[in-house]
Amino acid sequence: MTKQHANWSPYDNNGGTCVAIAGSDYCVIAADTRMSTGYSILSRDYSKSIICKADKAVLSSSGFQADVKALQKVLTSRHMIYQHQHNKQMSCPAMAQLLSNTLYYKRFFPYYAFNVLGGLDEEGKGCVFTYDAVGSYEKVGYSAQGSGSTLIMPFLDNQLKSPSPLLLPAQDSITPLSEAEAVDLVKTVFASATERDIYTGDKLEIMVLKADGARREVMDLRKD
Amino acid sequence: MSQSAVDVPPKGGFSFDMCKRNDMLIQKGLKAPSFLKTGTTIVGLIFQDGVILGADTRATEGPIVADKNCEKIHYMAPNIYCCGAGTAADTEAVTDMVSSQLRLHRYQTGRDSRVITALTLLKKHLFSYQGHVSAALVLGGVDITGPHLHTIYPHGSTDTLPFATMGSGSLAAMSVFEAKYKEGLTRDEGIKLVAEAICSGIFNDLGSGSNVDICVITKGNKEYLRNYMEPNPRTYVSSKGYSFTKKTEVLLTKITPLMERVEITEVGGEAMEE
Amino acid sequence: MRRTPWERLSSASLTMEVSSSEPTLVPAPVRFLFSTLLGMYVANRASDKITQLTDNVYVCRSGSAADSQVVSDYVRYFLHQHTIQLGQPATVKVSANLIRMLAYNNKNMLQTGLIVGGWDKYEGGKIYGIPLGGTVVEQPFAIGGSGSSYLYGFFDQAWKENMTKEEAEQLVVKAVSLAIARDGASGGVVRTVIINSEGVTRNFYPGDKLQLWHEELEPQNSLLDILNAAGPEPMAM
Repeated sequence: MTKQHANWSPYDNNGGTCVAIAGSDYCVIAADTRMSTGYSILSRDYSKSIICKADKAVLSSSGFQADVKALQKVLTSRHMIYQHQHNKQMSCPAMAQLLSNTLYYKRFFPYYAFNVLGGLDEEGKGCVFTYDAVGSYEKVGYSAQGSGSTLIMPFLDNQLKSPSPLLLPAQDSITPLSEAEAVDLVKTVFASATERDIYTGDKLEIMVLKADGARREVMDLRKD
Repeated sequence: MSQSAVDVPPKGGFSFDMCKRNDMLIQKGLKAPSFLKTGTTIVGLIFQDGVILGADTRATEGPIVADKNCEKIHYMAPNIYCCGAGTAADTEAVTDMVSSQLRLHRYQTGRDSRVITALTLLKKHLFSYQGHVSAALVLGGVDITGPHLHTIYPHGSTDTLPFATMGSGSLAAMSVFEAKYKEGLTRDEGIKLVAEAICSGIFNDLGSGSNVDICVITKGNKEYLRNYMEPNPRTYVSSKGYSFTKKTEVLLTKITPLMERVEITEVGGEAMEE
Repeated sequence: MRRTPWERLSSASLTMEVSSSEPTLVPAPVRFLFSTLLGMYVANRASDKITQLTDNVYVCRSGSAADSQVVSDYVRYFLHQHTIQLGQPATVKVSANLIRMLAYNNKNMLQTGLIVGGWDKYEGGKIYGIPLGGTVVEQPFAIGGSGSSYLYGFFDQAWKENMTKEEAEQLVVKAVSLAIARDGASGGVVRTVIINSEGVTRNFYPGDKLQLWHEELEPQNSLLDILNAAGPEPMAM
């Protein structure tokens, strides 16, 4: 019996890191803009975050760019249908459930995408949903995904230690930071991750979502 | 009595004692530890009156930067230096070993080392290990016969070139050399070209990064320009800084001296015999 | 443990020699190739694969660069000793036999094909081909390396007995340029060595000065020059 295409894989990893932090009246979603494969940089200015046409939810994904693009396409079209059927935009928690379903639908040939969904819930409070590649998800106060997540997550845990989700009565997972503090924290963790993760770098794209609209900010990162 | 309590390792060479056990563990699903690789850009060129070597300063372990400012230009002899790419431990060990052989050879002969001697010692060692010692080297120096530049591959083959690059960033660096190298460069032109080639590796190859190290060797003189360029400073420092809560607490302040709990019995000197 | 071939530097190129009545020509090749993840990378575009063994004997190396360098280094060392012990220059036959000895005794370890050529006072100009397993064949001409398969027919047709030195060198340079035109792994420059009773001459032919064969393009400084040049539509059938 001969093995065919032993070295070929339908997946690639294009690297990159995504972080989201939820506050009382805002949500910060950030990602670097480097896209790479192996030891090569494919793009220094590739945006990983998209507003899924919903003003109150931003999806940021790293992993395999082709799968991420396919996933975004599915989500955008499903949201379009939702708007036609309900004459309103999807809420962030609804988008979170939709994303989970979409990922699980491909349980045995997964989208190689690591997602963070950040936005505002129906009460206008910040919310962050974090995923694995096959649709398991959780509502959290902050999260990091992608190649630099192993470096960033422990630092966020230390600075923003969230209450255990098992506590009764349920504690609010929203972080106590002000918007400026959260943006400052995000800049710090990305500058730090870029120092040590070769797949993170070039530029940092930060989206700040508030009830009165979204703001986008860009900061330079190391380019080596 | 005469049996030595510990096995003295044989002089020189590697120990292969654990190979069988490690093979068995890997077969049973153990993941072998990863090595520190210097996914690297190293270069060298011959100019008007000598040789210039260059290197980046990033050492990686998989996708993680293990060292942001390591030294990849190794000392071989006062007039010979060697850039190393590949497994950090191998490049370090092989250059140290040959460097010591060269020094002994200088004591024996009373003459300055030659680049060809270093080249032969290095390739002999690498060939005997059939590529398992993964060191890819750019060797440069000036000796009695003039300036020399060589590349050495892990399997022990060597090349003699006017300009050379090695490591994961070698393609990026070579494209700069192929476009701009010419014979008879001045010192300043040479340094500029080497720095540009290394920067091309630093920015276009993810395995290479941080700073530029340069070593200029001329007849009877050398300059080691450590961190000649630092093109990658940290991009953001938080103005307020961060505090980390102290997690250890003092449980007990009373200290019980050990002496009180130990009973010491004196034994007569005669009882203790050899 | 066997080495994986794609990790090794190999000189995939043409090595060949022509032995005419008097002189021995050791022409050769070209460039070193090194497989990388990105495909084939030219590690050295002007390497010297004709290695000197003694004053009157040279060798053309092909296959693994590391292996052929080690073999020729050892043989050079043996021949120097032999020359001192004998008090006179080593013969080409002795050189070939030493190479054979190493190639045959270490055939599991070595992946190299060599061609020895030289001149000695007993037999004049002689050429020995020593392919992979350690066979020795005395030949009037020998070809080796990845480009050699393109040349067997050419040599059957073009080689004549008793060629002059000039004819032989022209033949050899022409052959290498033909192989460069067809073999993707050969290229760069052509080097020749001519050995006869009077001594050794080394010649060098830069890659951009070689004769061009069927559908070969002129050397260009920039690809844009080709694109801008007026010519037939590239896609026109």
